[in-house]
Amino acid sequence: MTRSAWYGLKMIMIPDIFKHPTPQQDGAGGRANSWFNDISPLPNSPRRGGEESEYLQYPVIEAIDIEKSYWMGSTVLPVLNGVKIRVEQNEFVAIMGPSGSGKSTLLHILGCLDRPDTGTYHLGGRNVLAATDYELSRIRATQIGFVFQAFNLLPALTVFENVRAPFSYSRINKREARSRVENAVARVGLTHRIHHRPAELSGGELQRAAIARALAIGPKIILADEPTGNLDSKTGFEIMNLFQKLHQEGASIVMISHNHRVAEFAQRVIALMDGRITDK
Amino acid sequence: MIVETAEAVKIAGRSLMQHKLRSGLSVLGVVCGVMAVLAMIAVGEGAKEKTLKQIGELGIRNIFIKAVSLSDEQIQIARERLSDGLRIFDRERILSIVPDVDDIACLIEIRAAVISTAHIEFSPQIVACSPNYAAIQRFHLSQGRFLNDQDISGNHLVCAIGADVARQLGINGQIGNFLRIENELFKIIGVLDRYYRDKETVTTMAIRNINEMVLIPLGAETLLASSNEVQKEYDICALTEMIVLIKSAETVFRAGEVIKRTLDLSHNGVKDYQIIIPLELLRQAQRTQRIFNLVLGAIAAISLLVGGIGIMNIMLASVSERTKEIGIRRALGATRLDITLQFLAEAFMMTLMGGCIGIVTGIANAYIISQIAGWNTSVTFSAIFLPLVMSISVGLFFGLYPAVKAAKMDPIKALRTE
Repeated sequence: MTRSAWYGLKMIMIPDIFKHPTPQQDGAGGRANSWFNDISPLPNSPRRGGEESEYLQYPVIEAIDIEKSYWMGSTVLPVLNGVKIRVEQNEFVAIMGPSGSGKSTLLHILGCLDRPDTGTYHLGGRNVLAATDYELSRIRATQIGFVFQAFNLLPALTVFENVRAPFSYSRINKREARSRVENAVARVGLTHRIHHRPAELSGGELQRAAIARALAIGPKIILADEPTGNLDSKTGFEIMNLFQKLHQEGASIVMISHNHRVAEFAQRVIALMDGRITDK
Repeated sequence: MIVETAEAVKIAGRSLMQHKLRSGLSVLGVVCGVMAVLAMIAVGEGAKEKTLKQIGELGIRNIFIKAVSLSDEQIQIARERLSDGLRIFDRERILSIVPDVDDIACLIEIRAAVISTAHIEFSPQIVACSPNYAAIQRFHLSQGRFLNDQDISGNHLVCAIGADVARQLGINGQIGNFLRIENELFKIIGVLDRYYRDKETVTTMAIRNINEMVLIPLGAETLLASSNEVQKEYDICALTEMIVLIKSAETVFRAGEVIKRTLDLSHNGVKDYQIIIPLELLRQAQRTQRIFNLVLGAIAAISLLVGGIGIMNIMLASVSERTKEIGIRRALGATRLDITLQFLAEAFMMTLMGGCIGIVTGIANAYIISQIAGWNTSVTFSAIFLPLVMSISVGLFFGLYPAVKAAKMDPIKALRTE
């Protein structure tokens, strides 16, 4: 039996939830993401499981010396070579680079979908690389909002249901989830389309719905992967205006793009080339 | 875990509704399997019930000792060994030797013509019997009384008749009327209740059809013998049958063994009798029935297996078709467990639905079989429960692999697929 097959089996037999102690309720006061407290904070953290506000002193994202390479057959293809990135609270950062520069891989690592080979990554002051697959999934469900180039809405679900989808994977009660969904849809200006399916929406509306989905969970960070790539320039402009509005309302956003005009909306642009940050 | 499962069920239900035809066809496979298993068990149980009923009518606590007609050579041997068939003293011997014997009824079959006072001639079975025959065989009377000890000791010419005989005689079949057997008149003192037994039961189990019997007191047969040419050739005192009632069902086998040895001794090893123990027949019938059920069930289970493979097939197709969805859900925070549960729930729901529909159609099927083929079917608890459990476990078993496959997908690769 291969190792991955064994892992799959183990995963079925022993769900991770049983392998870890139950969340500490003292920390974030039984909030939806209070389970997060059992992931070790920074070594110099003043207190384990402190108030939410204490973490404000930490940057949202602090990734140091991230390295990642893929095996292409028998050769190793380095994608990221010691990337260092720091995103503060309420920052709007654009990562720019040509295709193949490793920006998607970096975004996947920042979004806890992938793990780097080496390096450290702290999200909101917590070392997420120590987390198990189960915990990483829960981090994605509660703290990270993804916006994709291809929207990635579930075609069978209405806008409301799509925006509600992440709440299937976090412990938030129905009423709370509903109000958050409605609030998020209103913020992106899509309330009139809330019960439509993706097939009935225009490109701009689709991306608004996707942004609402990222927004609804109240994420620490919104990660946008070429959010205007599938849109015409006018709609793209509208979407970027929306991102800027959300940023002004307090959201932290990391966006990757290869379009300079789009990147101009960000406060700060990080250029990525061949898996390295290059200063402009 | 419960929260995850509830969400998974919700998502799975929605995805099933999206592909109504596809899910419907997969469900149909399970429906057929469950239906087949249920119908097979129902047929098997029905047949078992019937056999048990047939044997049960003989009486679980009874042991039948029947006289066997011998060939000429055997008669010669029997005479040499001084054995002349079942005798009334065999009864005494069994009563005194065999423990746990409650009572013994004796029967003598008589071939004689019956003519009622209305001169209708017909041929019921005439049996001279001891009065305890009714009690041992649990006969009930619709009119009058059964033969009693006074009838025997007083040589009363009375008879009790079966329901069919009474009906054939019409007004003359009521108690107080007379029935002519050969040259003697017998007064009808009782009419037996009608016993509902199908022809098959009577022939296969060699049970006397009491509806067509005329029962006269033991001893009265000697009177008839004097006027009956045919009977004269035979020894009229030989019993046709003895029915031994044992005190409890647990000791029937032991008592049967003792009876066998007792008779073996008294008959000097001549096998002019036959011992039938209904309980033994019952055990045998149960054993064969069990094998029969197992074979039927196994055949039906194969169709359920085929249904399960259908489920697995559709689930695998569904997983690869929804790779993108899996990627999206993983990005949105679904754990591997969530994904596994989602697909497992889908397979589970299909088989559960198939199971429920299969049970309804299976019950209908069993009914149709019993109506058309005339077989006895019985929808027992196990006939419903077993296929349901089987279908659910088939769903879990065949759903597990596709579900794990879905959960193991790399979310990034899954997101990239179109």
